Amino acid sequence: MSLIALYVGFGVVSAAILALAAVGFSMQYEVTNVLNLAYGQVMTVAALAAYAVNRLGGALWLMLVVGGLVGAVLSAILNRLIFSPFAKRGLKLFGMIVITIAVGLIVGNISLILFGFGSFSYGVASLTTYRFAGMVFTGSQLATVALALAAMAVIRIVLVKTKIGRAMRATATDPVLARASGIRTGLVSDVAWLISGTLCGLAGVAAATSVAAWSVTTGDSLLITILAAAVVGGIGQPYGAMLGALLIGIVTSVIGGYVNPSYTEISAFLILTGFLLFRPAGIVPGVVLEREVIA
Amino acid sequence: MSVSVQFYLTLLLVYVGVNLIACWGLNLQMGVAGILNFGFVLFQAAGAYAYALFTLGPVSGGAGLNAGYQVYLWGTQLPFPIPFLAAIAAGGLLAALVGVVVLPRLRGDYQAVALLVVSLIGGGIVLNNISLLNGASGLSGIPKPLAGVTGLSGIGYSWFYVALTALICLMVWYVVHQIGVSPFGRTLRAIRESEAAARSLGKDVKRKRLTAFIVGGALGGLSGAVLVGFINAWAPASWGYQETFVFVTVIIIGGFGSNLGVAVGVILVPIIFGELPTFLPQLGQASWLGAIQLILYGALTLGFLWFRPRGIVPEKRISYSRSDLVGRGRQVEANEMLAVVLAGEEGVPRHDGDVSGQ
Repeated sequence: MSLIALYVGFGVVSAAILALAAVGFSMQYEVTNVLNLAYGQVMTVAALAAYAVNRLGGALWLMLVVGGLVGAVLSAILNRLIFSPFAKRGLKLFGMIVITIAVGLIVGNISLILFGFGSFSYGVASLTTYRFAGMVFTGSQLATVALALAAMAVIRIVLVKTKIGRAMRATATDPVLARASGIRTGLVSDVAWLISGTLCGLAGVAAATSVAAWSVTTGDSLLITILAAAVVGGIGQPYGAMLGALLIGIVTSVIGGYVNPSYTEISAFLILTGFLLFRPAGIVPGVVLEREVIA
Repeated sequence: MSVSVQFYLTLLLVYVGVNLIACWGLNLQMGVAGILNFGFVLFQAAGAYAYALFTLGPVSGGAGLNAGYQVYLWGTQLPFPIPFLAAIAAGGLLAALVGVVVLPRLRGDYQAVALLVVSLIGGGIVLNNISLLNGASGLSGIPKPLAGVTGLSGIGYSWFYVALTALICLMVWYVVHQIGVSPFGRTLRAIRESEAAARSLGKDVKRKRLTAFIVGGALGGLSGAVLVGFINAWAPASWGYQETFVFVTVIIIGGFGSNLGVAVGVILVPIIFGELPTFLPQLGQASWLGAIQLILYGALTLGFLWFRPRGIVPEKRISYSRSDLVGRGRQVEANEMLAVVLAGEEGVPRHDGDVSGQ
């Protein structure tokens, strides 16, 4: 059995988690024009809610449901209370990024005060392992991969087949024209935050399940890798984010395993830098909108 | 005043000076030129390391004060102004390198991401290659400037350093103020407001922005040198990417694009809101303090962007009426013409240069 297959196997699992997170992140940016740097903290809150379920004896599926719900509701509330009012005041990308950082600081540090610096563990890692072509997975890892695949399929169907999905794509391309055509863009943005928030929550729980121990700052530390996957995929392109997650997840696992574990993150940054320099529009360029940045 | 209170005071004053230099530098990039630099702290770090390498002396193998307890790539020991100049050069060169790669190629949102990532890569490289700059433990025992020449020590030297910092701040103020009122500064603001309009008047948008980015980076480098000259140690923990957010908060609260506003913000934000919670009666555990400070920073930023988006001291609007320019019989330069275009003529409301765009 070759080592490389083993690392690719790990990579597939981290790619699945990354895909959940990056697709939600991309969707928020595409539909609502908010580059949400508080994303990691929302992931953490969802993971903490799932932890409560876990302590009460809830099963993994119930943890995922609760985590997804908490992520969805918290994201939608943050949008309604903070992001959307600021956006209505005419705040553009720069101001909105600063707002999301501020919200992230507030949410993250409140969690820190409430739950402390200690580490948490779900203790759900199953000991049964499954082998495919030299790759080894545990039951919960397989569940994560299956969850990611299912979520991607659902997102695809929602975006392409449903009315609300078309409305979302229309709003992303041209909000003014969408509104003029009778699309209720406020409702669309609420739905976008609920869907992307669900992905964010699921990713938070999945990420926390995949490691032996995690802490309140884990979500934030994942943010940069998520950002990398989203940008590599072509920022604001949910399908691209899936490919970006796959590339980053596998390459970083292989490099981290073969070369040096401390290079896991740096290799993600280097891939990101390479893409920014040579293919800034990402793997799936699509329609790249010139957004107003300052003012 | 007891010596410990005096020492605390001098430390606070030097911090104010360091933050002034850094925030003026960042304000030039972000407030005036409109480049979203979320990785600014990298330039401060570069300056600090450059100062350290130019004062610590060669890496000693076995003997001497430095007895091999810390490793670094290369080192030398040069007299007073040179380490500071090296720090300026390091910040500027790094900014030039990053700027040439990032600025012309990427759009605003990608730039913001790229610059954040560049600072994270910088941190990762320093952390993972101990032979470069001693990794996570960082450099310590960095010499104080002019300690031997002045013959001062203890609290006397600390006050001398405060004076030195003040002098450097004055020089930096002069530079940023002159840039602000110069045709170059006006062009930068014009580019920030509308790149297309500036380009249509023949302005070399890319070069102007790059220049502003380099000058801002050089100031960041200088701020790092002034900081380590006083605290004598520097490690990756001192320059996490969150530090940049403190600078950004200062600029938003003080006044985006306004040098005077930034000065007000520097005094208000870290000093009052950073130090205030330490004087509050103990709220819960001591470890909450840092968390409470960061919540305050976040809340302040939200509050200011909502209630006073242009900051405490808003950027002064440069407005010219047509008679201002023509009446004095002056040749109307393209810059000034552009200011008229962007400012709107008398009485015509214009799109203000604040972050909210109200």
